[in-house]
Amino acid sequence: MNIIEKILKSHSVDNLKSVSPGDIVTVSVDRAIIVDMAALHPEFVNNPPIKPFDPDKIAIIFDHFVPPPNIEIANRVNKLRKLAKIWGLKDFYDVGRGGISHVFSGESGWILPGSIIANTDSHTVATGAFNAIGRGLGTPEMMGIIATGKTWFIAGETVNVRFINGLKKGASAKDVFFKMAEIIGDIPNMNIEFSGTGIKTLNMDERSSISTMCAELSAEFAVFPFDDILKEYLEGIGIKNYNPVYPDNDAEYYKTYEIDLDNVEPMVALPDKIINNVRPVTELGKVEINLAVVGSCANGRLSDLRDVSEVLKNKKINKNVRLIVTPASMKVYEEAIRLGYIDNIIKAGGMVTNPTCGACLGGHMGVSSDGDVVISSTTRNFKGRMGSPKSRIYLGSARTVALSAVNGYITGDENE
Amino acid sequence: MNNITGRVWKFEDNINTDLMYPQICYTLPENDKPFYAMHANRPGWARMVNKGDIIAAGKNFGTGSSRPAADNLKNLGIACVLAESINGLFMRNSVNSGLISLEVPGITGMADEGDTLRINFNGNYIENISNGKIVKFRPLPEFLMEIIDAGGIINILKNKGLLGEPL
Repeated sequence: MNIIEKILKSHSVDNLKSVSPGDIVTVSVDRAIIVDMAALHPEFVNNPPIKPFDPDKIAIIFDHFVPPPNIEIANRVNKLRKLAKIWGLKDFYDVGRGGISHVFSGESGWILPGSIIANTDSHTVATGAFNAIGRGLGTPEMMGIIATGKTWFIAGETVNVRFINGLKKGASAKDVFFKMAEIIGDIPNMNIEFSGTGIKTLNMDERSSISTMCAELSAEFAVFPFDDILKEYLEGIGIKNYNPVYPDNDAEYYKTYEIDLDNVEPMVALPDKIINNVRPVTELGKVEINLAVVGSCANGRLSDLRDVSEVLKNKKINKNVRLIVTPASMKVYEEAIRLGYIDNIIKAGGMVTNPTCGACLGGHMGVSSDGDVVISSTTRNFKGRMGSPKSRIYLGSARTVALSAVNGYITGDENE
Repeated sequence: MNNITGRVWKFEDNINTDLMYPQICYTLPENDKPFYAMHANRPGWARMVNKGDIIAAGKNFGTGSSRPAADNLKNLGIACVLAESINGLFMRNSVNSGLISLEVPGITGMADEGDTLRINFNGNYIENISNGKIVKFRPLPEFLMEIIDAGGIINILKNKGLLGEPL
């Protein structure tokens, strides 16, 4: 069995002896995470589960609309505050206390190697960086999980993505993902497992960025192997007890792709979709922009803010561009202040917001207007995703966004 | 599940959740939400849908968010989604809201917009009544069909007494 099959097997409530593609597996869930958006689902606030399966395994995190942008949402999320009390949750993170759920749950030591995480947000595939599996689920399904502690998966085929060598300066994890989108395309109902010597050149932020973005390939899970980098990260936050999962020697993979990280160059996704729609920045031509956004579960992490800070230090952003930078968690925000990143961004003319999903979903903190041309390090470029359907959204790495903000057009070149 | 007969609306590859349920829907009155489905890519479409219509789409249908995109199609009157391939999260949400969605390789080649399709759940095939073409499909697992037959997971949870009073 591969890593994913082994995690499914270890959580099977029917004690399955093995798991292979096509098997339906009912599993127990190690942690369930509900984000503020659940308050906007009428069935959830009108008929919440009476009794949670285990209040210590459930968290409510406010992240999408932090702080609430209007009266309607402000009133609705109040109901979740009430619910956290009724259920007796110790893990409730309100405005100013946590961050984007996928980033905060990693920082909090909730994503243990070998575990299964359920979360109402679709980017829960992010958990793969921690040698775990997690899935974004609709709110109605989460109501069942809260009540029972269980859910189901149909085991899918798994592709093996092998990384060799390391990234050149100027290329980033987001560009690795774009390369994956180019060569793999969409893979609904299938999984990804990463392997190869290139993995050791990627830090946890970079692995998380890649895993997170695999939602955009419609992958079910996108899992990294356990290694010293993950071990040291977990040690650093005081986590020692867990069961890492390794693939068996005879683990089966549907297909293997090899990516030489040394050949990865800055890339962008053109507006409206990612599949069949990525290009190297050098092949793009001159695309002038007026809104530049850095943030999200994929690329609002400390490594991303470091890249932005490096680019912006002692520079000014182009007069035609509005730059909005949204740290992914309170911890990222605090560290970025301590390291001087925030200072560099503000001095260059960028605006730094509080941690939130914010502009990524077009909710607040940078909604795009008719005619805006946007370069963003966020997760999705769907038409209308970040605001007006008449805006055009290009996706790139945080470094590409910063370079583009300085130049006024999309570029990944440090020397322009 | 009874057979479904309905008129076809064709959609391309990679139709995402944000097209089906744009961000603004979150705070609209329930009855208004469905009319914003596909507003960005096909303005005016939602108003033309009749109850019982069928969507026939390309691959990777429903890629994207956990938002209640399937509910929006169901509440608009869509009786069934057929696509070359379907995103796993959309499929789960569709089942859990009681909307049947099926992966049907070959569907885009056998139906044009406006054709009438009959989905036969006993024989697991789809017949295009307008041109006579037939395509087989692999049925959903029985436990998922049970959720759809119950009208969605909320009904099941309610019947088991697991859901409580409004907050």
